Formats: sequence, C-alpha cells, structure tokens
Amino acid sequence: MTVNVAEYNPSGYADAPVKISLRDVGKTFPIRGSDRTFTALDGVGLDVRAGEFLTLVGPSGCGKSTLLDLIAGLTAPTTGRIVIDGVPVDGPGPDRGVVFQQYALFPWRTALANVAFGLEARAVPKGERTERARHYLDLVGLSGFEQRYPHELSGGMRQRVAIARSLACDPEVLLMDEPFAALDAQTRESLQEELLLIWQKTGKTVVFITHGIDEAVYLGERVAVMTSRPGRIKHVLDIGFDSRDGDLRADRRFGEYRHHVWTLLRDEVAAAQEQERARG
Amino acid sequence: MADTVTTSRVPAVTGPAGTGAETRTEALAVTVTETETETAAAAGRRRWTGSWPALLARRTLALVLLAAAWEVLPRTGLVDPVFVPPLSQVLAAWYDLLLSGQLAEHFEASLIRSLGGFGLAIVVAIPLGLAIGWYRPVADFLSPVLELFRNTSAVALLPVFILILGLGEPSKIVFVFYACSWPILLNTISGVKTVEPLLVKSARSMGLGPLRLFQKVILPAAVPTVFTGVRLAGATSILVLLFAEMVGAKAGLGYLVQDAQFNFRIPDMYAGIITISALGLLFNLLLLRVERRFSTWRTV
Repeated sequence: MTVNVAEYNPSGYADAPVKISLRDVGKTFPIRGSDRTFTALDGVGLDVRAGEFLTLVGPSGCGKSTLLDLIAGLTAPTTGRIVIDGVPVDGPGPDRGVVFQQYALFPWRTALANVAFGLEARAVPKGERTERARHYLDLVGLSGFEQRYPHELSGGMRQRVAIARSLACDPEVLLMDEPFAALDAQTRESLQEELLLIWQKTGKTVVFITHGIDEAVYLGERVAVMTSRPGRIKHVLDIGFDSRDGDLRADRRFGEYRHHVWTLLRDEVAAAQEQERARG
Repeated sequence: MADTVTTSRVPAVTGPAGTGAETRTEALAVTVTETETETAAAAGRRRWTGSWPALLARRTLALVLLAAAWEVLPRTGLVDPVFVPPLSQVLAAWYDLLLSGQLAEHFEASLIRSLGGFGLAIVVAIPLGLAIGWYRPVADFLSPVLELFRNTSAVALLPVFILILGLGEPSKIVFVFYACSWPILLNTISGVKTVEPLLVKSARSMGLGPLRLFQKVILPAAVPTVFTGVRLAGATSILVLLFAEMVGAKAGLGYLVQDAQFNFRIPDMYAGIITISALGLLFNLLLLRVERRFSTWRTV
C-alpha cells in the first residue's frame, strides 16, 4: 500500500493558526553593470503554522536563502507581502532568530559572550544575560565550554553555539539556512536529533532550509519543494509519521516520502543544471 | 553590489606610494613580522629537539658573524678603517657619548618628536579611517583629497612644513604625523570595509541598529587590521623623523649622525646609526607585543 502523500492530509497542527504568511512574494536583483534584472523568486505563496517544523528543499540557486532573508527582514520583497502574526515584516525583529550555515560567530567573543550577544543588544542586565547564556549553552550540550573561543571549537560545537545564540533571544520563529550542511554525517545526525528535541521542548516555529532530501523528510512535519529559478513553491508535502521515536529513517514510509520529494525535485534539479550550463 | 565597488576603490593596504623612505619602512616592517612568525613557529616545532643555549646560538650566529666582520675587516685593511672604523672603536665612541650625556639628549629629542607625531596620527587617523570606512558620504567626500595627498610624499612636503611652522619642533612633529597617518588611515579603512559580511548580517538579524552594529561588530572586527597599521606607523615615525633631523635640526639622532659625518667624527656617526637601529627594533617589538595582546582571537 502506498500513502497518498500528494493529497492534503490535515493532522493536529493543521488547526494551529498561521504564523508566517507569504503571498505572491517576488524578489528581483539588479544585475551589476547592466539595466537588466535577475529574478530570484517569483510568486511564492506559503503559510507556516504556529509551532510547526517546515523544511524547504530546492535545487541550488533556486532562491531558498533569499526567501529566508526576506522572512528574516534582512531584505525587502520586490512584490507581494510577508506577514507574521498579522503584521507585515519591515525589518529584522526579536520574534525571529536566524542560524546560518557558516555559523557567523563573532571570533573575538567566547562561546558564552557569543550567546549573550543578542541579549546585550536588547539591553538585558548583565547578570541575567550570563545566566540565560549559560542556560542555552547547557541546552545545546556545551556546558564547560563557556570560555572557549570559536576557533577552539569543532564545527558541530560552533553550530551549537550559533543555535544557542538564536534561542537565547527567545524568538518565536527560528529560521535556519542549511545549518548542518558543512558538518560531517555523524555530527549532522546527532544535531538533527537534538534540534528536534529542542523544538519539541520549546515549541518554536521552525523554517529549515536544506538541499538534503533525507534531512528534509527526517526533520519536517511538512516539506515545501521549490522550483528552479525563479523559485516558487512547487508542492508542500505532509509528513505523517505515527511517532518520531526510534530509527525514523528505517521506517517504510520514510522511503516513500523520500522518493516522492526526490521525484518532485528531479525535474527541477535538471532544469537548474540546464540554467547553470546556459550561463557558464 | 555597491559594497564591492567601494572596496575595490579603497587603495591597497600596503599604504602610501611616494618616497623611498616610506616604501622602505613598510618593506622592513613586513619582513620583521614574517621573521617573527617564522621563528615563533619554528620554536614551537623544535621545543624538544634542542636546549635553549643551542637555540640562542643558532639565532644569534648571523649577528655575531656580522660583528666579527665589522671588527676584522677594517683591522686587516680590507676595508678602509677611516671610513669604516672597527666595531670596538664605534662602541667606545658610543660609550663616550653615553657618558657625556649627549646621547641621552639626542635620544630624548628624537623620541619626543616621533612619539608626538605618532600619537597625533593615532588620535586623528583612527577616527577618520572609521568614519571613511563606515559612512559612504564621508568616503565620497574625502576620497579624492586623500587620494591626492596619499600620493604626495611626506618628504616633498617637508619644506612646506618648515616654511609654515619654522625650524622648531612643530614642523618635525607635523611631518612625522603626516607620514604616520597613512598606514593607520588606510588600514583602518580597510579593516572596517573587510569585516565579514555574514557577521554583519547575523548581527542585523538580531535586531542591531547601525550604531550598535558599529560598536559591537565593526569596531572589534577591525581592531587587528587597525593595529597592523599602527605598527607600520611606529616604524615609519622613526625612519622619517631622522630625515627631518638631517635637514634642519639642532638635536636628535638624525642630527647627531649628520653632524658627526660633517665633522669627520666617523665613530660617532656609526654610534648614532646603531642607536637608531636599536630604537627602531625596540619600538617595533613593543608594538608587536601590544598588537598580539589585542588580537589573540585572530589565530584561526
């Protein structure tokens, strides 16, 4: 029996209110040295529900990161609207935290001071700052590493610090841009597991960008598949495991979901490669 | 993007073109850094392979050979002892200068001038560099003027400084200040401009406004680059000052060297030169130490 994944399959969280709403969002960039423009995103429509874990996959160059920047408020969309809790996004805000692939830690600050960074910017008193930073370092399993500088930590540990830093500001939405892509397979798996635990513990809304199909299916309650450039949402797939305990990847349905996403992506990847060749 | 355009417009960190003196300064400073790093690395590698007297011997061998050659060659007549007296005579002359108090007097005069100009350059060039690096309008406004002056040698301007400020201390301090400002200014600008964009993006995503961003990210990230400029300027301050003291002065190490040469006190001349080298070396070592202290994290 196959699961009819294409069919809309509401589960419990579907009743949750919409947290982030994107309507017809487009983004174009001017091409340097010419008056033509480059269309990165075109007509993106997506609803992210409060407390859900949404993963976003797409071929390289499809504008995934641009989309995340838009939700983070780091850049403004050319067309369309992005609304969070009913309020249009007009710049970065304390309700959203971003985790980047390259960690983006401040090399002159210790792990503890990095985690406290966002709190400093928010003028949280020093004692409370340190206490909260310690708490979140502990949450990502880095107690005892408070005084280490980023260059003294492994890649996995650096990303843990970066995650703790985002969580320390207690955002409602966590935006993650391929956070585990630069890590080795083992570290990635353990961080994926921990991220799920943290998500369950904290109830954040997570938008997680990846180019790994396995990662998308493993982490996401829903997987949004994007088209090649200009990026649009091609399909949103519900992932409905009965339980997330145990070896999820060995579940029969994991393979089916995986195959479905793979099928959706295959044509887009081919198209992206075609674009790449045409440009090169 | 606009950012890239601006970066490419900023002149290379290597600093002022122009006078031979300035170019030499930089070359010298760079060499010193490289040697420092190399020896530090080598020391780390060989920690257990040799005792420290052996290490000391290895590291001072070239200096000992140079001193020996200086002593022996004039004595054997291979080099004219009138123009190059043996090292022992030079050291004796140096000791005499020290006892008579002349050396201290010249040393003090030079030190006050170079530290004055150097300090002034730090106080003026760092804030100016930060402003140019951070505020586009300031950069657009000042860049043409800076570009013009950057290519005007300090040595070419010395007569102007003397004309306007007279032969006394102000003209020399301003001269040193002018020459020292460039390495500090250019490195500060480049330090601000080359801050990792991802760090800026990350800080902005945490809701930092422009002022906080500058204070918490741009400034600390630029510190090591700024210090490199300060160290280059330190070496510059001594090298250019000597030139000024040779042109018009009544005291200072440059004056000592020039005066000794005019009056054919050749050992005194070399004694002055050795003092200058030692001063430059000490100054650079001191600044290197301060630089390390401020950028320990930059060991990635």
